[in-house]
Amino acid sequence: MKVLMVDKEKCTGCHQCELWCGTEIASNSRELAKAINEEPHPVPRVYVEGKPFALQCRHCEEAPCLDACPNGTMRRDPETGLVYVNEPTCIACWMCVMVCPFGIINPSSSMKVAIKCDRCRNMGYPICAEVCPTGALSLVERKDYRQRKF
Amino acid sequence: MRYIIIGGSAAAISAVESIRSLDKDSQIDLFSDEETPLFSRVLLPYYVAEELSKPLLNFRTSDFFEESKVTPHMGVKVTSLNPAAKTIKASDGKQYTYDKLLLATGGRPIVPPIPGVDKEGISTLKTMADAEKIYNMKGKRAVVIGAGSIGVEACISLTRRGINATLLEQLGQVMPTVFDAEAAEIVRKRIEDLGIQVITGEKALQFKGDKKVTGVVTDNRELPCDMVILSVGVRPATDLAVQAKLTIGDMRGIRVDEFMQTSAPDIYAAGDVAETHDIARNTWFLNAIWPCAFEQGRTAGLNMAGKKTAYPGSYRRNSIGNFIGIPAISMGVTHAESCAMTEDDEFREIRVRTKDVYKKLVLKNGKLVGAILVGHTQKAGLMSILLRKQVYIADSIPMLMSERLSFTDLLPILRRNADQFSEPEYKELMDTGL
Repeated sequence: MKVLMVDKEKCTGCHQCELWCGTEIASNSRELAKAINEEPHPVPRVYVEGKPFALQCRHCEEAPCLDACPNGTMRRDPETGLVYVNEPTCIACWMCVMVCPFGIINPSSSMKVAIKCDRCRNMGYPICAEVCPTGALSLVERKDYRQRKF
Repeated sequence: MRYIIIGGSAAAISAVESIRSLDKDSQIDLFSDEETPLFSRVLLPYYVAEELSKPLLNFRTSDFFEESKVTPHMGVKVTSLNPAAKTIKASDGKQYTYDKLLLATGGRPIVPPIPGVDKEGISTLKTMADAEKIYNMKGKRAVVIGAGSIGVEACISLTRRGINATLLEQLGQVMPTVFDAEAAEIVRKRIEDLGIQVITGEKALQFKGDKKVTGVVTDNRELPCDMVILSVGVRPATDLAVQAKLTIGDMRGIRVDEFMQTSAPDIYAAGDVAETHDIARNTWFLNAIWPCAFEQGRTAGLNMAGKKTAYPGSYRRNSIGNFIGIPAISMGVTHAESCAMTEDDEFREIRVRTKDVYKKLVLKNGKLVGAILVGHTQKAGLMSILLRKQVYIADSIPMLMSERLSFTDLLPILRRNADQFSEPEYKELMDTGL
């Protein structure tokens, strides 16, 4: 499957990905000027953290969130392998938050759903990679580490 | 190959999915003594609260059995298990043979031997039938006995429907197996803010009333009520295992090895009934929680279908969800004292507390064995993975306690333990050179 990779040399921490994800994916208005005043506040699915480094859901091969979800709200798309939240059935139990090793699931108490990146599975290309001004984010095929000899 | 699965909840369904990932065609027979298939037990309080209707309690779609080519036997109880002949007998009067069998029989709610406990209006909350019974109970006042996760959620659910609820716990705090005293105080305050009377350190001694319950007598008072919910815990349902002479552990669960196999060949156990190695406690333990049931069910299923797969071990994880207005998550051991201890072990507890935010880590010999997060919980999973992998973190405490902790901060820890973080999702991030 394809995963988003970040080139740490190119990520300047400009937060463009966060801003666009928050506006285009998370907000109702899809306009920055309106999105910033929306209540509940739109939650971007990408986190520019630390070094800086843009981190979103890694769509784990054996995803702990899928095991933890008690009603099948967390699902994996059998065709793309992408893990996504079926928001209408989310009961806000935060079991997925409890086990996500990357800390990228937001327990939104105002929206009462777990919010996370689905890598824009219903769009052509992930918005964060599309808007990155330095090209730090790119979509690449996941390496098969098991085939590598150690 | 012929598979038999006894049980119909998380561990059983997870096992079906993993068997089918390897073996598309062999016969799978699934037996459950409950009539309703595929509902999520964890969600029963939501049903009582009138927030979820029955179809929304399902954790898999209703065509799951058909899609997975499973023959379900709903409402059929397995009455005996013969490991030597590899057969079971069921309440439908038939005998079935198996090559591989899974015991995912779960737990049975404890009914405390309190005088009057058999009166009308008193129920546990474990099955769909229990939830329906409670939902249809008439009255304005309820007492919930036992302030564990189910007790707290049931109490809040009843309150949301306008019932005046009292939460009664014989130990000194709410959720005693989940939180320490400090976190429990925050949670208790939140529960009380919802209009619930919380009484701790008091024991129910007697139920009043003729046929129907009218009150609960404790060591200090009498609580008049129209209904009582018993939520004092569950015990593994081991009748079949005992009868088949499988090894039972100290906590009365079925002992399994790292491949989820019981003491009898070709009989596996998973979920609330299985006693597994607990990573945090470093001893055998029953971790009767949904995520463990799913993980164990998958491991059992893979092994049953012939792919030898070791289970890394269980550890407790609880989340109180949106019930009290703030998130609260707890995992592993809550106190240093509750670990299996030798004199050489060194324990440390680190905590920060502001008004509604609390974070505590419990370390044993420099490795994480427990964590509690109240208020800010988004990074709870970082603690979960450090606990699961048992890596040395004593030199990273300020970073781990920081409000600004992010996954990239963990990369140095991952790198020095690279052999334990061999999954592609970790490797590819380590490869970025951060």
